[in-house]
Amino acid sequence: MPNARLLVPAVIGLWCAASGARVAALEDPAARAQVTHLDNGLVVVTLEDTATPVVSFQMWVKVGSRDEAGYSGLAHLFEHMMFNGSEHLGPEQHAQLVTARGGMINAYTSNDQTVYFDDVTRESLPLVIDLEYERLAYLDISEESLNRERQVVLEERSLRIEDTPMGRAYEALLALLWQALPYRTPVIGWRSDVEKATVEVCREFFATYYAPNNIVVAIAGDFDTADALARLERTIGRLPAAEVIPRNPTEEPEQRGERRATVHFDLRGPVLAAAWHAPATGHADGEALDVLSQILSDGRSSRLYRSLVHDAEIALSASGGYWEMNDTGAFLAIAGVRPGESIDRVEQLFFAEIERVRREPVHAAELDKAKRQLEVSLVNGLATSHALAARIGGDIATFGRIRPLGERLERIRAVTADDVRRVARTYLVTDQRSVVHVVPPPHEATPREAGDGA
Amino acid sequence: MRRACVWALVAFCLVLAQGCGLLAPKPAWEIPAPPASDRPIARDGALTRVELESGLRVLVHEDHRLPRIALSLTVRRGAASEPPEQAGAVSFMAELLERGAGDRDALAYAEAIDALGASFAASADWDAVSVGISGLSRDFDALLGLLADAALRPRFDPREAVRARDALLAALERAKDDPATLAGWRAARAVYAPHRFGLPVSGTAETAARLDAKVARAYHARAFVPNGAILSVSGDVEPEAVIAALRDRFGAWRKGALVDPGAPPPAQAPAQRVVVVVDRPDLGQARIVVGHEGIARTDEDRIAVSLFNLVLGGSGFSSRLMASLRGKEGLTYGVSSGYSLRRAPGPFFVSTFTRVEELRPALDILLAELERARREPPGEDELSWARTLATGSFSMGLETSDAVTDALVDLDVYGLPEDSLDTYRTRVRAITADEIAAVARAHLHPERAAIVLVGPAAAIVPQLEGLGPVEVVKP
Repeated sequence: MPNARLLVPAVIGLWCAASGARVAALEDPAARAQVTHLDNGLVVVTLEDTATPVVSFQMWVKVGSRDEAGYSGLAHLFEHMMFNGSEHLGPEQHAQLVTARGGMINAYTSNDQTVYFDDVTRESLPLVIDLEYERLAYLDISEESLNRERQVVLEERSLRIEDTPMGRAYEALLALLWQALPYRTPVIGWRSDVEKATVEVCREFFATYYAPNNIVVAIAGDFDTADALARLERTIGRLPAAEVIPRNPTEEPEQRGERRATVHFDLRGPVLAAAWHAPATGHADGEALDVLSQILSDGRSSRLYRSLVHDAEIALSASGGYWEMNDTGAFLAIAGVRPGESIDRVEQLFFAEIERVRREPVHAAELDKAKRQLEVSLVNGLATSHALAARIGGDIATFGRIRPLGERLERIRAVTADDVRRVARTYLVTDQRSVVHVVPPPHEATPREAGDGA
Repeated sequence: MRRACVWALVAFCLVLAQGCGLLAPKPAWEIPAPPASDRPIARDGALTRVELESGLRVLVHEDHRLPRIALSLTVRRGAASEPPEQAGAVSFMAELLERGAGDRDALAYAEAIDALGASFAASADWDAVSVGISGLSRDFDALLGLLADAALRPRFDPREAVRARDALLAALERAKDDPATLAGWRAARAVYAPHRFGLPVSGTAETAARLDAKVARAYHARAFVPNGAILSVSGDVEPEAVIAALRDRFGAWRKGALVDPGAPPPAQAPAQRVVVVVDRPDLGQARIVVGHEGIARTDEDRIAVSLFNLVLGGSGFSSRLMASLRGKEGLTYGVSSGYSLRRAPGPFFVSTFTRVEELRPALDILLAELERARREPPGEDELSWARTLATGSFSMGLETSDAVTDALVDLDVYGLPEDSLDTYRTRVRAITADEIAAVARAHLHPERAAIVLVGPAAAIVPQLEGLGPVEVVKP
C-alpha cells in the first residue's frame, strides 16, 4: 500500500517585512505537496491548486546521457521512441490524443534525466495517465519505428548542432572539459552512434532504465489527488520494479593544464566558449556560484555586458554561468563575437573580467542586485502549473526531497562578497580552463572549395 | 481490437481472483472526451478599465496570488507604419528607449532596472510598440517611474544611438549565420517586395545604416500619443491606487494626431510562382519555406482559418504536414504552417527542413499536402478535434493573469470587441465543415506560392526541375 507523507514545512509571508504595504504574503505552494511511494517504487508527488485552469503531469525518468556506455544518444533516442506507438496505439497517436484536447505534450532529455510532460485541462488527466501507462507497459520498439526515428533524430542533430555555430561550440567544449565522464558526449549523441543503434540495444536500455522505481511522477494544478493516485496505482503502479539500476562508475580525473580547441565553420560572427570545472548540484558553493553568474551576466548592467558589449563594442552577447548536474558541474562562458572583430581580443577582455572577480570583492550594490534577481526569478517560477510540477518533480528526482523556497532564499541571502571571491578563486582557475574558438576556416583549406563535392 | 481482448482478460482474472463481478475500466482514450469546463477568462471583478482625459486607456488586472506585477504601455502603431526606405526605424526607436531616459543615462537606467531584479523589454512588431517592465509588487512606484521615463522621456542620446546602430548592423550580419533567419527574410521578400512587409521589422543593413537619434526621436514624437495607447497593469495591485498613480505619472501627456498605419500590401502576393535559393555551401540540411499572402487580424474568416491551419500544419504532431513529412517518411524533425495576423493581411508560410539530398521529395510532399488541403478540406472528424484543440489550448494559454492581460491588450491594438475572449470558445464550436472548405479555397494558393530554399545551391538547384525559373542569391 502506498504511504503518503508531507515533506515540506510551510513557509509563509517571506516578504512581509518589506517596506511597501501592498504586498501579498508569499506562500510556498510546494509546502502543500504530497509525496506518495507506491509498492513498486514509483514516487508520485502531487500539488493541487484549483485556482488555475491547467494541470501539468510530468514523468521524470532518471536516465540521461550520463548513463550511456557504448552508444551515445540512447537516452535521447528513447525520448523519441516513446512517441512512436505501442501495442494498442499507432505512431504519434499518444501525442495526437493529448493535442486534440488542447494539451501541450513534449519531452526533453538532459544529461541526468528524461522528462515527459503533458499540460492539459482537468478533465484530461485520466487520459494522460492511461497513455503514459500504455507506453511504459507496451512500447513498440521495432526495426521499422527505430529506423524512421533515427532519421528524425539525425535531422534534429543537424538543426541544433551541426549547422549552428553555438551547437558546434558547446559540443566541442564539453568534449574538451570532460575527458572521462559521460557528460562529455552530446545528449543527442554522436552521429555514428545514432546511425548504428540497434533494436536489441534499445530494448535493453528501455528494460533497464524505464522501471517504475527509476521514475518520479509529478502532478501540479487543477486535479483531484485521490483520483489521480487511484488511477496511477492501477496502471503504472502495477509495473514490475527493476532489481538493479546500473550507474556509470566513471569519475573525472584532475585536469592539469589549460585545454584549447578550434572548430572551423563558415560563419560571420565567431563564437568564444570556455568552461571550468565546478561542483555537482546541491553543493554548498552553489548559491555563491549563482550570485557570481548574475553579477557577470544578468542584465545590461552586468559586468560582461558592460565590458564587452557596451563599452568595447566587440561582442554581440557575453555571459557566464554555473551549470549544475548530478555528478559534477561546470562554469560556462560564452560570447558571440561581432563580425569583423577579433576573437582574441574578446577572450582577453572576457578573462580580464574573470580575473577581476578573483582579485577584488564585488561591490555591495552588485551583491544585493544579484540576490534580488535570483529572488525575483524564484517568485516568477511559481506562476504556472508547469513550472511548479517541474520544481517538485525535479527536486524529488535529484534530491529525494523538495527544497523549500525559504531554504533556498536563506542560502541566497547568506552569500557574502567574500564567498563570491572565494568561489571564483576556487573554481575559475586558468589551469583548469577549457577554451574553444569557432572561427571561419583558413581560406586555402576550405574543404568545400577543394571540390570534394560532399 | 487487441485492446479489448487484453481488458477482457484482465476482467476475467479479476473475477477469478476476487470472485466478484468487477468490470475492468476501459482506457480513457476509448471513452468520449468529457465536456470541457469553460472557466471564465478572469475572476469576477478582477478587471478594471478606465480612460484618462488624454485618451490613454488603462486596464488593471488584479491577481494577488503572487507578490509580483507587470506593467506595459502599448502604442497602436508599429513597423507597418514606416516606409520601406526607413525600415527598422520604429524598432530602432524602441531599442533606444532603455538606452537612457529621464535623469538616467543608459548605464544608470540599466542599473536601476537590475537593482530591482526587474525585467524590462521594449520592442516593435508590425502594428504596435510595447514597453514593459515587471518585478515585485512592493517596487510598484519605482517600476512605474522607470516605465514612464522610458515611454515619455527617452533621451535619444546620439552616442547611444551610434552604439545601438552599430550593434544592429553587426547583429544583422551575424544573423546570416542562422539558416532559419535567412529563410524567413528571403521568403518575406519573395512574397511582398517592394512592400514594407518584404523587409524584416528590424530593417536591413542598407536601411539600418541610415538610422540615428534624430530619426528615432521623430518616430517617438509621432507614435507615442496617449490617445493611441493602452497601459496595462497586472498582478498584486489595488486598482484605485494604480489609477491615481497613473494620473500622476501620465496625466500631463498631451494628445496628438494618429499616424497612418501604413499602406496595405497587394491583394495577391506573389502574383506568380517564384523560386529562390539562398546559397550556403556549408550546410548539410536544407531549409524550406513556402508562402503567399494570408489574412488580416480582423478578417471575418479568422477563426475558420485558424482551425483549418491547425489541421494543415499548425498543431505539431497532429497536423497533416507533420504526419506526412515526419511520421511517414522521417524526412524532418519539424514542420509548421501559420497565418501571420496583422492589421493588413500578413503572410501565410509553411516552414520545414530536411537533409539536402531529400529536398525535392520533401518539397513535393509539402506541396501535395497543400493541394490536398484544398481538394479534401478537413471533414467533420478533423474539424472536431481541431475545435477541441483550439478551445483547450485557448484555456491553457490564459493560465496566468499576465497572459490574459496581454491578450486583452492585443484586442485593443486591433480594435476588436472587448469581449472577444469571452465569446471565443462559442465561436470556435460554431464553425462548420462548409466554412472550412470555403476558407481552404479562398486562402491557400500553392500554385503561385513563393518557394525559398537555403542550403548548398550546387546540390539543390539540380533538384528543382519543373518548378519554374530559379534565382540563386548570396546570403
